[in-house]
Amino acid sequence: MVSDVIDRNDRFRGILDRLATKSIDDYYNPYRLFEWPDQLPEDMWWMSPELTTTYGTEWAEKLTPEQLHTLSKHESVNFYSLNVHGIRELLVEVVNRIHTAGFETPSEFFHHFIGEENEHMWFFAEFCLRYGKKIYRQPSGGAEAAVPSDKIQSLLVFARILIFEELVDHFNSAMAEDERLHETIRGINRIHHQDESRHIAFGRELVNLLHQDLKQTATEQELDEVSTYLRRYMKHSFESLYHPQVYRDAGIERPHELRRALLESPARAEAELRTFRKTAKYLEKTGLIR
Amino acid sequence: MSSAGIDKVRDWILGRHPERTELAADVDLIESRLVDSLAFVELVYTIEDAAGVEIDFDAIDIEDFQTLATIEKAFFA
Repeated sequence: MVSDVIDRNDRFRGILDRLATKSIDDYYNPYRLFEWPDQLPEDMWWMSPELTTTYGTEWAEKLTPEQLHTLSKHESVNFYSLNVHGIRELLVEVVNRIHTAGFETPSEFFHHFIGEENEHMWFFAEFCLRYGKKIYRQPSGGAEAAVPSDKIQSLLVFARILIFEELVDHFNSAMAEDERLHETIRGINRIHHQDESRHIAFGRELVNLLHQDLKQTATEQELDEVSTYLRRYMKHSFESLYHPQVYRDAGIERPHELRRALLESPARAEAELRTFRKTAKYLEKTGLIR
Repeated sequence: MSSAGIDKVRDWILGRHPERTELAADVDLIESRLVDSLAFVELVYTIEDAAGVEIDFDAIDIEDFQTLATIEKAFFA
């Protein structure tokens, strides 16, 4: 059980206590924290250009500065939409576990986690609805990953949460510092980065512990399947930034053609490597991906 | 006689599963795990592109995506 694994580890219990204390000390009211102008200027970068999907491709040359600005607006709304739905899905998983058998020890921290994630979901949704008039969706369906045990299921849940948070944090930390962006945009990225650094610290420790525990009993084939799944999940997460509806909303005529060209470009591969540089290093070092 | 559109969808699935050379119209794509939750997004985009339609992601009926035959009926008929 997860609590048993944590209880055997003094270091992790110490980290949990420190993170909970920091959540209390840093507590803020998100509903009062941000300035929400009715509109933001249309002709500006809504997202750091280096983080947009056309960066480093021929499309960044072909489109006019105005078109690139418009595209950056829709891409930013998609990015925050991914946050809204990603948070919704991870909240379901954590709420399903808090105060249940096996999760007694991290439940105190889960309260902070759930509270903070709910607040993040609110300000991301507010941004999307106020400035984009929509929250983008991803299609969902298909066969769920075959899950042979509770141990693997919990490991995959927290590993997915961690990968998602690290992807988002790569964007947040860059945009918080980017003086080309509007202060409202920088503000939400700054605050999210600040809170997520705690969640990522928690996730890295927990995922490593769960993996060490799983290795005691898992077969080589199961560990290989975990590795393959996580590699696919990282690719899937990154590709969700390339949304055909975004290209359509930005006035691109053949959105799927553009999406395919961008996904196949060397710039996409480089951007994916950059985004997951720290994540991949961590997952390889811990042996989660082989 | 299948349409060129559904052939694109079939080719996309076969391209992801090099161990297969054929895919009958009635094979359950979900149950057979040919399309899992991570691949489903790409299946939907492949259909959108091949059929030239825009699918409402909030109103996805998973039965439409069950087999090549149901996909053809829902999006290429």
